[in-house]
Amino acid sequence: MQLSISRCGGVALAALALSVGVSPSALAEDYPNKPIQMIVSYGAGGSTDTMARIFAKYAEEALGQRVVVVNKPGAGGELGWVHLANADPDGYTLGLINSPSVETHPFTRADTVGYSLDDLQPLANVVTDPGVLAVAADSPWQSLEELVAAVRAEPRSVTVSHEGVGGDDHLAALNFAAAAGIDLNFVSFNGNAEATAALLGGHIDAFEGNMSEAAAHINEGEVRGLAVWSNQRMEAIADVPTGAEQGYEVVSSASRGLALPAGVPDDVYARLLEVTREVIENPEFEAELARLNMPLDPLYGDEYAASLKASQDSLKAVWDQDPWIEP
Amino acid sequence: MDILLTALANVVTPTALLTLVLGTLAGILIGALPGLSSTMGVALCIPITFNMPPDLALILLGAVYVSSVYGGSVTAILLRTPGTDASIATALDGYPMAAAGRGGEAIGMATLASLFGGLVSVIVLLAIAPPLSKVALAFGPQEYTWLAIFGLVTIVGVVSERPVKGVLSAALGLILATVGLDAFTGEQRFTFGQGELFDGVPLLPVLIGLFSVSQAFNLCIPRDGGVLSGEAQRMQGRSLPYWADLKRCLRTLCRSSVIGSVVGILPGAGTSIAAFISYNEARRHSSHPETFGKGEIEGVAASEAANNAVTGGTLIPTLTLGIPGNAVTAVFVGGLTIHGMIPGPSLFTQHAESTYTLIVSLLFANLMFAVLGLWLCRYMVKVTRVPGAVLGPMILLFSLVGTYALRNEMFDVWLTMACGLMGYFMERWRYPAAPLVIALILGPILEVNFRRAMQISQWDLTTFFTRPLSLALCLLVVLALVIPLWRRWRQRQCAVA
Repeated sequence: MQLSISRCGGVALAALALSVGVSPSALAEDYPNKPIQMIVSYGAGGSTDTMARIFAKYAEEALGQRVVVVNKPGAGGELGWVHLANADPDGYTLGLINSPSVETHPFTRADTVGYSLDDLQPLANVVTDPGVLAVAADSPWQSLEELVAAVRAEPRSVTVSHEGVGGDDHLAALNFAAAAGIDLNFVSFNGNAEATAALLGGHIDAFEGNMSEAAAHINEGEVRGLAVWSNQRMEAIADVPTGAEQGYEVVSSASRGLALPAGVPDDVYARLLEVTREVIENPEFEAELARLNMPLDPLYGDEYAASLKASQDSLKAVWDQDPWIEP
Repeated sequence: MDILLTALANVVTPTALLTLVLGTLAGILIGALPGLSSTMGVALCIPITFNMPPDLALILLGAVYVSSVYGGSVTAILLRTPGTDASIATALDGYPMAAAGRGGEAIGMATLASLFGGLVSVIVLLAIAPPLSKVALAFGPQEYTWLAIFGLVTIVGVVSERPVKGVLSAALGLILATVGLDAFTGEQRFTFGQGELFDGVPLLPVLIGLFSVSQAFNLCIPRDGGVLSGEAQRMQGRSLPYWADLKRCLRTLCRSSVIGSVVGILPGAGTSIAAFISYNEARRHSSHPETFGKGEIEGVAASEAANNAVTGGTLIPTLTLGIPGNAVTAVFVGGLTIHGMIPGPSLFTQHAESTYTLIVSLLFANLMFAVLGLWLCRYMVKVTRVPGAVLGPMILLFSLVGTYALRNEMFDVWLTMACGLMGYFMERWRYPAAPLVIALILGPILEVNFRRAMQISQWDLTTFFTRPLSLALCLLVVLALVIPLWRRWRQRQCAVA
């Protein structure tokens, strides 16, 4: 009851404000006048969380308000995104969205999912962490070609780890298998630590993960990167060739960006976009991310929204033909 | 040696010691409160360390980690409300001791056992981390499968009084463990489309419900023999265990510390497995196993030495291989990398000073929580004199707030309440709750590793017996099951003769 009264009050106030002729930009001048909540759909301490907290630190300086990180982990990000989609679009709630999961849940879980991409207003992509296919240092395979030859000689004999069905690792490895016309034996792991231990211990033959997780092991020489699934070689692991260099046109990554609930006032959106740009273009911010092997990949506003939509469409086309999760 | 002295000098500075004290106090508090896990404690400290020099940052994180594992024992003993799954096994004997007016003694033993286990594991970390880290790699899915089975066997030890009810409780836990997205196919199993259940039934709400909330109900609704009664009120001031008890527990302390350190090294095994395996081993080697579960101080010693030995163990693969041994050390890795220290062999060469400072500071952190624990003990036991009608609602409040804080989800709060009710009636009807929780923890580990092993071996069941380490673990499981039966059979033979 109280809620409905305060809502009515809010509507009345807004109507009053309009009738008196307060221009909408007055809102933005006042924004932000209270702490901003930033939803992270993964657990505290994970790579998304770490990036979010670093971003929050810089955004606080630029906005002059506290940016409070709230973790809402669960269901591969879905719980947090449902919360973000349903939050008030007043600019005081923003959140991290992770590709490709944020695009795939709406059609892979069509019956139960609680949000759609249209419920979110993308702000900017921050980091794109390309996929990496790696083997242990003592593995006989030096290139994708040799791995493919081994599978051809003995189908399904090569075990490849991924960190969750339908996640970007799994999709990358599936794409590679399709491009090479081979069948891989997938083994699912809960997170990078278990998968890396299994690779170093010789329990699995190959590891599909993200560059930020694998770079340290590759640079230490314990693990050999066979391919990085990006358009060009990455600075953090410069010796690892791309898939395309070896004849397999596979591009795959995990991206982390920022989004708001749909319907945020234009001026507030513009202010947040400006602040986001300021943070991303700050060389100190970039340096902090580089230390974590997270490559910046800025894409702002409408361009980011369009790229998410395009990615969703192409993933959906693949899914419709050959779903990677049993329906 | 030089590097150790430098590290020591880094730790024995006023700022470092102050950081240690604050980190230790915060850790004890985090561990004692239901719902605030070690992982969350360390994660919350990471932003604080952003602007600290790396050495201090590591000292703070380390102190919070080790002392939060200890902190859980205090409430587990005095109130039977373990703050994390690591101290469930501690409550099994600790709470009966507190109920008999020996709470101070139990906390004293828990403190000394935690110190012992913690020190052993840090010394292991300091002395032989690189070769030991190979253990983490030697364990494949086959071995984890056996380890999970070994953990399930420990249920036998917990339920020896009421085997049928214990097995039913464990079966319920295993059934609950099947809920969630299938890790291999992505299929939804018993989720009812509820997003909150996609990752499985969340462990901590179930744990807090079954232990803390049900205990809160117990305190509010007094029944005879239910909660701390007259005995506990006449609490003696004793806060140190008897010397004879300590001497008697020495072998258990050593065994549990080794078990804890080894299990800690294995990524994804978990603190509670170490505690339960140690508890069961102590009971199995005891000349009077029947006293376990009824206030046997050796049970407290076994569980606490093991769960604190895990702390050093988990840091071994974290620091040497860059593979975190559990969720807390995964957060630790984040903290290290922010300060430019990439976990892996280079930590002991390029960043040797900071790394050894961390390890040396862990020794101090262990001593610090022990000193603080023993000093605070006499004040802490007073909590048992608070009337149930006051204590119960307070535990309920902390439990529900803590559960909500886990992932800011009301669903978890309702689940905690439901499990609280279930726990209350389970206790009334004498169904033990610990087997349910052990099964809920081990179920997913067993399932996922069994399926991984099958996938890797291309559906060849012999893979569980043809690997040397796997076979050895298999034999351990068989021995753990057969020896008690054989003993009982021999006793009966003697009685007949």
